[in-house]
Amino acid sequence: MVPEGVVALLEILLFPGFLFLIALAFFYEWIDRKLLAKLQNRYGPLYTGPSGLLQPFADFIKLLSKEDITPKAADKLMFSCAPLLLLSFPLLALFLVPVNGLTALISFEGDLVFLMFLFTLIAVTIFIAGWSSVNRFSTVGGVRAAFQMLGYEIPMTLAMVGPTIGARTLSISQIVGWQSHNATWFIWLQPIGFVIFVICLLAELEFIPFDAPEAETEIVAGWSTEYSGRKLALIRLGKDVELVLAASLITSLFLGGPSSPLPIPAIVVFLLKTTLAVVLLTILRALFARFRIDQMIVVAWKYLIPIAILQMVLIQLGLGR
Amino acid sequence: MMTHRTIRIPFGPQHPALKEPENFMFEIEGEYVVGVKPRIGYVHRGIEKAIEGRTFIQNLYLVERICGICSHAHTTCYTQAIEEVLGAKIPPRAKFIRTIIAELERIHSHYLWIGWAAHEIGFETLFMYLWRDREIVMDLLELISGSRVHYAMNTIGGVRRDLPPEMVERVRKGLDVLEDRTKYYKKIVMTEPTISKRTAGIGKLKPRDALALCAVGPTLRASGIKRDVRADDPYIAYDEIPFNVITHNGCDVMSRLFVRCDETFESISIIRYAMDHLPKGKIRIKVPRKIPEGEAVSRVEAPRGELIHYVKTNGTTKPERYKVRSPTLGNIPSLCKMLVGGYIADIPIVIAGIDPCFSCTDR
Amino acid sequence: MVRELLKHLFRSPATSKYPFEKKTSFKAVRGRPVWDMKRCTGCRLCFRDCPSGAIEMVGKGSEAEFKHHLDRCLFCGQCEEVCPVDAIAMTDEFELASYDRAGMIIEFKR
Repeated sequence: MVPEGVVALLEILLFPGFLFLIALAFFYEWIDRKLLAKLQNRYGPLYTGPSGLLQPFADFIKLLSKEDITPKAADKLMFSCAPLLLLSFPLLALFLVPVNGLTALISFEGDLVFLMFLFTLIAVTIFIAGWSSVNRFSTVGGVRAAFQMLGYEIPMTLAMVGPTIGARTLSISQIVGWQSHNATWFIWLQPIGFVIFVICLLAELEFIPFDAPEAETEIVAGWSTEYSGRKLALIRLGKDVELVLAASLITSLFLGGPSSPLPIPAIVVFLLKTTLAVVLLTILRALFARFRIDQMIVVAWKYLIPIAILQMVLIQLGLGR
Repeated sequence: MMTHRTIRIPFGPQHPALKEPENFMFEIEGEYVVGVKPRIGYVHRGIEKAIEGRTFIQNLYLVERICGICSHAHTTCYTQAIEEVLGAKIPPRAKFIRTIIAELERIHSHYLWIGWAAHEIGFETLFMYLWRDREIVMDLLELISGSRVHYAMNTIGGVRRDLPPEMVERVRKGLDVLEDRTKYYKKIVMTEPTISKRTAGIGKLKPRDALALCAVGPTLRASGIKRDVRADDPYIAYDEIPFNVITHNGCDVMSRLFVRCDETFESISIIRYAMDHLPKGKIRIKVPRKIPEGEAVSRVEAPRGELIHYVKTNGTTKPERYKVRSPTLGNIPSLCKMLVGGYIADIPIVIAGIDPCFSCTDR
Repeated sequence: MVRELLKHLFRSPATSKYPFEKKTSFKAVRGRPVWDMKRCTGCRLCFRDCPSGAIEMVGKGSEAEFKHHLDRCLFCGQCEEVCPVDAIAMTDEFELASYDRAGMIIEFKR
């Protein structure tokens, strides 16, 4: 028998921990790029690995080997810390989401609240990253990211609260358990909440139509303009992990998590459902033009929040629980 | 006029929204633009002076390289000016072939512009589709002239290559596809809400201002003023071909999109008419290498607007003075007017709205 | 737009894998010009008309030999057009890159 401590360590380090999640992050970046290219009638990554499968990894390695420049005027400490935080926050949040089986690596009552807190921290870190770069474009990008957070955070929280009311728990694992136990998914019970959640995730991931914080034609690379080399590699990996996080949250909260009525291993179900979620996010991203930041706020406050509240009212009236 | 409340933000010469280097110094108050100062001349290549040192034949290819998009418009303008000094009448078939190439070029330029505008407002997918379909017309141009960009079709006294019937058939087939696609893109531009959010009411240019600031081309026509060199001062075969001058009354970036979509349809019908009525005969006449003393001004409606060339000759094989006024230069004063009072985030799409070609402007 | 997007899921890409898959170029393409030295009379017309000075003549008259500088050539085809004995032809070769300028000079000898 292998001691339990070793198993736990392996779970955290290898599967379904760091190694697996990071590999998954690269894989989903590849799916996203490849599918976007397909939708736009292009090839996308092609030559690194089979069908360019290793391209995101190759990009990562290339960035690691590049020169790392810190601007003279930058706030050095914050400027260096931000990329680390941007990678570690989404990774940490992923430990709260069930991947292999019905319970996550870390699971406690109220971990959903902790996860919302992590989401906010990510946005705040982005703002700090932009601010500490001391560059016109970075500052504007950072401020836009903060603005955007003001727009999407409330409807996203409201949409996430929907399943918690339905399952009467604040733990993601237990929400998944409830869906598995009652053999239903929250997407059927709360379709409006699902739509709002996906829209808010697009904003969180800075995907078109909500990519104003890094709008290339307006402010170069937005808040990450001054980053290069290792730091940029970490930021990009962090973005990929965020994509995994978004996909697995959609899966856990609305698609029933890694459970299925058929006798399929949980990890396969998880991969299938998250891939589906990534596909959905990618298609949506190919479909629109970019909103201006003020239009984004207007959309969030005028439409998303009232509709999210409507969903809550419906839940309170007994529909969708 | 600097007040303590404004910030100055430079835009360019290095900026991802600008495809060519040019500098705009913006005065910003909060999120709004309150003043703008353009500074042109970053891509000055001394072409006008270089023209004075080359023979008229060599200049054909130099003039063509003023612009990478409207190369045919420049050579048409150049050859027209020289032919006027010579008093040469070019054969009708040459006129029609010049017209066909000019309109194909207009289609390719408008497609390029609509795609670029989509890119500026972050609509990457539309950008990819438009530039893919632009390849159809690029291929047609390559088929006819032998090159994708610098067609080198014009020569003094006519055109260099003929348009045989089998090519006409292929052009027709290409045009059918293009017409379908243009219809589809127009529908998207009209119905896609995110596009109208970013373009409707942006970059307003009132008709009165457009006239006072000498706007030209689609920018002027999108302000509802019917002015087009092709109709007002017909050159090559435009007096024999019926077509409409497209105008829209929106005065904003959206109507500039519509004008260019509709002009693409007009171009397609012009090409069809020209191919149906292609006269028989020679495609060029022989002209002397020495051009007699004289001067001429010639005007052409390039895809971006009115293009003016001036030439002064002195009886040798080389011109004495040459001057080019590009459409973008005519649109810069009205561009400054459009930008003031708008959002910072709208700067790229408003600048893109006039379809600027800074290489032409700076020569 | 959604329908158009989804249609593209089942279409092969419009871009081509260029260095591995080549598009056949049109016959009319103006590529690298070649001199037929048997026909050439050395009249210097191509040399005089070349807008970019890409043609260098060594020797005079019917003894003349040519150096064609590919790095200067515009591929306008004026030399082909002006040649009174049709000694110059534009081929459809267009992949003409080289690692140094010396590799861009093509000599035509008698």
